[in-house]
Amino acid sequence: MIRPILLSLAAGLALQAQAIPPRPEAIAFKPLAFSVPKAGAFKADLSNGIPVYIAEEPDGLPFVRIRVFIKGGAYLDPAGKEGLAALAGAQLRAGGTLRTPAAALDERLEFLAASIQSSLGDTSGSVSLDILEKDLTEGLDLFMQVLTQPAFAPERLDQAKRAIRQNLASRGDKLESIAAVELPRLLYRAGHFTSAQPTAASVAALTREDLAAFHARLLHPANLVVSVSGKFQRKAMLARLDATLGRLKAGPAAKPSPVVPAPGALAKPGIYVVDKAVPQSLVQWALPGLRRTDPDWAAATVLNSILASGDFTCRLMKKIRSDEGLTYGIGGAFGEGSYWRGHWSGSFQTKNKSVAYALRLFLGELDRIKREPVPAEELGSIQNTIVEAFPARWGRKANVVNLFAGERLVGWPEDGWTDYRERIRAVTAADVQRVARTYLDPAKLVLLVVGKADEALAGDPEHPGPLAAVAPLPVVRLPLRDPLTLKPLS
Amino acid sequence: MGRTCQPARAVLAFLCALAPLAGQEVKVLERTLPNGFKVLLVERHDEPSIACGWVARAGSANERPGITGVAHLFEHMMFKGTRTIGTRDAVRDGELNRKQDEVMKTVRGEQALLRERLRRGEIQDLRDPAVRTPRLQAALAELDTLVKAQRELIVKDELMKLYGQAGGTGLNANTTMDRTFFHIDLPANKLELWAWLESDRLLNPVFREFYSERDVVLEERRLRVEATPTGKALETFQAMQWQASPYSWPVIGWPSDISSLTRDQADAFFSTYYAPGNITLILVGDFRADEAMATVTRYFGRIPGNPVPPPPVTVLEPPQGGEQRLVATVESMPFVLIAQKAVPAVHRDAAALDILSGILNGDSGRLKRALVQDRSVAVLAGSGFDGMKFGGVFRLYAAPVPGKAPEEMEGLLLEQVRAIQEQGVTDHELQKAKNQIAASMYRRMDSNADLRDQLAEAESAGTYRDFLEEPGLLQAVTREDVQRVARAYFALEGRNTLVVRRKEAK
Repeated sequence: MIRPILLSLAAGLALQAQAIPPRPEAIAFKPLAFSVPKAGAFKADLSNGIPVYIAEEPDGLPFVRIRVFIKGGAYLDPAGKEGLAALAGAQLRAGGTLRTPAAALDERLEFLAASIQSSLGDTSGSVSLDILEKDLTEGLDLFMQVLTQPAFAPERLDQAKRAIRQNLASRGDKLESIAAVELPRLLYRAGHFTSAQPTAASVAALTREDLAAFHARLLHPANLVVSVSGKFQRKAMLARLDATLGRLKAGPAAKPSPVVPAPGALAKPGIYVVDKAVPQSLVQWALPGLRRTDPDWAAATVLNSILASGDFTCRLMKKIRSDEGLTYGIGGAFGEGSYWRGHWSGSFQTKNKSVAYALRLFLGELDRIKREPVPAEELGSIQNTIVEAFPARWGRKANVVNLFAGERLVGWPEDGWTDYRERIRAVTAADVQRVARTYLDPAKLVLLVVGKADEALAGDPEHPGPLAAVAPLPVVRLPLRDPLTLKPLS
Repeated sequence: MGRTCQPARAVLAFLCALAPLAGQEVKVLERTLPNGFKVLLVERHDEPSIACGWVARAGSANERPGITGVAHLFEHMMFKGTRTIGTRDAVRDGELNRKQDEVMKTVRGEQALLRERLRRGEIQDLRDPAVRTPRLQAALAELDTLVKAQRELIVKDELMKLYGQAGGTGLNANTTMDRTFFHIDLPANKLELWAWLESDRLLNPVFREFYSERDVVLEERRLRVEATPTGKALETFQAMQWQASPYSWPVIGWPSDISSLTRDQADAFFSTYYAPGNITLILVGDFRADEAMATVTRYFGRIPGNPVPPPPVTVLEPPQGGEQRLVATVESMPFVLIAQKAVPAVHRDAAALDILSGILNGDSGRLKRALVQDRSVAVLAGSGFDGMKFGGVFRLYAAPVPGKAPEEMEGLLLEQVRAIQEQGVTDHELQKAKNQIAASMYRRMDSNADLRDQLAEAESAGTYRDFLEEPGLLQAVTREDVQRVARAYFALEGRNTLVVRRKEAK
């Protein structure tokens, strides 16, 4: 019986030596070094000038991920052919290749447990490969076929059109899909690609030749940036890429994609209401913002984190969710403004009758942050949160190379994140107040409410006040639209 | 492995590439603390962070009618703080909580009277302020005063703030039918902060802001269920599928239960299900196991064990008396969903059902080939086997092309199963499904957080060993196994069919 007693004595002493601190602030942490990865360390150029961001993971799982970013997208859709970029992007992969019919491609990739995906969004897209290391030679061959020799098989095109038609028919079903149609129309002038949306007619009119021409136009080395990560030797992988992507030459129809056009005139402020018979309204807000390269970007980032990060610690969450129980979540962000200045925008959902009260609380918080300097404790805490969470963004190698490649495609300055933490630290309470006064002007607000209009307009008897009294903005009722034509329903 | 099939060369190469991984890549160290906590540790040093989490084997299956949603509401309450975290004055805070509970007794008494009036048809809506009795109005005003007084003492969302300032990301929790899972990713040097905060909220939780949080959950319910096109239909479908099983009610709870849950019920749920013996702590990432274990032991070891294990779920779902159908006309893309009641996640037939789903599913799978490509009647078609702790469901679904009715998909989906029941599957299909499932399992353990989540899921339905053994079980499935489960689990008596027809917007 001696040994156990001695042991527990020893354990008791050890326990005493390391008492539990009364509060977590008393814990001493070992320092953890983190330096921001530099783009140059990951960068290489192929013979034809296509930039590659490459990260090898010698100890990782036996997969290789290659992604070719493409500059081009819906902003190049001709009028009347809205939906072309999206359809062409998806059909690169879905329509098979000149050497490998669609069904054979599906079959082979699934047997290899690999995936090739392709898509084009508003201004950019990508074709990506995710494959086991051992199958890379075959996978890269199929990948190059998809990228350079798509077949755009007619039967697959018909299938896709049927599916798109069903999706278009569902545009009026969900609150967020109604808002996705309406908000761009409020924010951007007609004719700009941001407010031009596909209709059943514009999609039905798309032909195989349209898709082939769109692809031929985009396939230019100047439109491409590559990222690659996974289990491989860097040198051998670069040689492989150079022997494939590096040999790509611009065809006769290929063109460097033009500059993305700015939208021109901006929104008419107002409270816009779409009537939809549901027990909860979706509220979205938008105000003119700035670009990531603006000197005030760091201050705007801190401002948003204090006010509307969507975390429990932001003021709008504390007020509208935690104090009042009016919503499950509220948050927003300053858009980076890749090609023109972005918006400060965000959203929340609340029961219809609470919309007006929740918006009063929202506007109250906007007003408060303009009137009162942020207390030092709150500012410091938010700055710590942004700075300390920053390394986590760089965790996976695939994320790092995708970030560098995506930024290169947009044309952001290289290594723009290197001094990000220092810039966040340098923001003062006066800076926050200044950007709040610059950007949070309620007279410029576009508010979109999708929900039961009568209830939302009337407000809550327990917190009286109709929606129209929330702010000196015109209240405009928007009609529901036919989801296929987007024409207003009477 | 591969008992009856003769794998081709490519297949052999595939198996050779993946088989060793099962043993090498995931070294799970299992420990048990004297008070009952199970601890799983996986060291991975490729990035300086740790995915931290703990899973309590307590979900909506552990509720009963009348308190549905308590497991989920309780999950919300676990973020409200402790005696140390979240308040400037724990004593006064506690007094205010007790006073709120007293007032709520009056509120509940008055609401019982209102429910009686509702039952007699004298009023239409319990929550309408106009129907409140003077006593109820006074009690609610008093509650409001107490809540505001407490708010003065509250340090709002201090747990989130402490984690955020320490570089924590992805702080969250979620509740399912079988378990509740609390997790965060932290920089590698902050493990002790996790141990401090998590052991504190298991030792000394205080459910402050209880009553306003019920309103948050009601808004969450509107967001997820009531304001979505198919939310109510899917909830009703679930309730129809399960008769005796607690899987019949929604995890978020019925609205009337959510708005009448009490702090006492949350307390009782906590003391029954959040005892150390019912919880697994999981760490995956950049630490040394011996050091991490010392920290975990020091902090979590101080929580008293509960000698009484939580009551087992004893319900066995009885066989259905026949096929059931639900037809919902809502504003949604039309589709059909066939749900066959099958087996729990850890059942010996689960692997074969996974393979069966793999063969039906996918771009080159039988369903999409037949319905979307060959016959052009559907815009999408698929399947899935969802194994839970006490039961499982095998689903087939399809959405028709414009102009076709969802009902037309039913026979075509079942025809594909019938072909397998009668003729079986090919070696090639079997191997393709195995390849895909094996690779997807490895992809699902790529990041520390992914692996932590996988271990947590395995611990909620069985043990982490089930997860480690899964690749072997899947590789052992034969063509005969696939045909056998296709025959065994598609009887009419286990079938529930949801038909969603489009209702045009007005």
